[in-house]
Amino acid sequence: MRKFKCSICGYTYDEAAGLPEKGIAPGTRWEDIPQDFVCPLCGALRTVFEELKETSPIPAHTSQEDEHFESLRELTPGELSALCSNLAKGCEKQHLTEAMDLFYQLADYYKSKVAAHSSQNFEDIAEVLKYDLSESYSKANTVAAEKADRGALRALVWSEKVSRMGNSLLERYAKEGNTLLENTKLYVCEICGFIYLGNDLPEICPVCKVPNYKISQIGRR
Amino acid sequence: MPAVRNIRLCTKDCMCLYVCPTGATDTENSIIDVSKCIKGCRKCVDACPSGAISLLPDEYPPQQSKSENVVNALRTLAKSKVEQESLATDIAKLSDDAVTRQFAEAIAKSNRLMAEDLIRESGYMLPQSDEVRSLLESMTQNPPKNFPVEKVETLLKQLNSIHKASSK
Repeated sequence: MRKFKCSICGYTYDEAAGLPEKGIAPGTRWEDIPQDFVCPLCGALRTVFEELKETSPIPAHTSQEDEHFESLRELTPGELSALCSNLAKGCEKQHLTEAMDLFYQLADYYKSKVAAHSSQNFEDIAEVLKYDLSESYSKANTVAAEKADRGALRALVWSEKVSRMGNSLLERYAKEGNTLLENTKLYVCEICGFIYLGNDLPEICPVCKVPNYKISQIGRR
Repeated sequence: MPAVRNIRLCTKDCMCLYVCPTGATDTENSIIDVSKCIKGCRKCVDACPSGAISLLPDEYPPQQSKSENVVNALRTLAKSKVEQESLATDIAKLSDDAVTRQFAEAIAKSNRLMAEDLIRESGYMLPQSDEVRSLLESMTQNPPKNFPVEKVETLLKQLNSIHKASSK
């Protein structure tokens, strides 16, 4: 009997145990689970599950290009906007209300400088996201691991998980369209950005483990 | 080091009122009256049975230094997230369907939060840090037309005064 782990939230499906509360009998092989199975904890598609190996060999990352000098790239208006809105939150936590307001106003200024897009479809988002998942995360993880930068590694773990979940949602949306959201609520975790589709929130965010009062519902207007 | 109250944890036991020598804790919200609070006194912090009061630090250590390669790798991802945010925001703005808008807004918000976290870890964690200070200063150099320079200058003054107050 094998085990399969959700790469988003870490839930593990054990073939020996099955999932009786969802009508999957103990001993049900992964292949025999219904195709529309989603992670019972975070709602991710079965395609993001990975088989758990007893001893998973750690791939040896030897980057030759590391000491190649990279000069610091300038921040774009969009990045500056996110930087300022994050500093606003930092001020809020220190009860610096006036500084918080000023940082939010700067964030709005930079946001207004972000160029508008001509296209209007979710496929364009999916395309950019796929590049993150196939290229940018592995590169960033390698660089951050080499420098033993714990803060960077933590941020990368969270946002890679949130991105995989977003990717699986976009794939489902491409197939099902608006019916995907028909009889369900939609939430976003205020801390890590995890998107949850479902009516019963988990006790804690499956990605960043914050209590669920920090997870906000996105309404329909 | 003024005391602050986490209103979510407060169970209205009012021990903070009993022990405060100046009446600074006699407020309904999370803000304890900073003008009355005796900095560093911590009587209310120790008396609260719910652990709802803490002291705000008034001094922070310098941030951990960041390798340029790590910063660039984080910026690459943050840039991609803000691009996805802005694509989703445009969909939400222009769609006339409520469900499409709802989905697009969730994606936009999720990407904004990821971008914020990635940028924060690239060396801009603390508003009072030298890194933020030099960024703000660079914004006041040759600013574009209509840039709110005065807001940045106010921030520089405010964040600076906090720093000076703490080093006394």
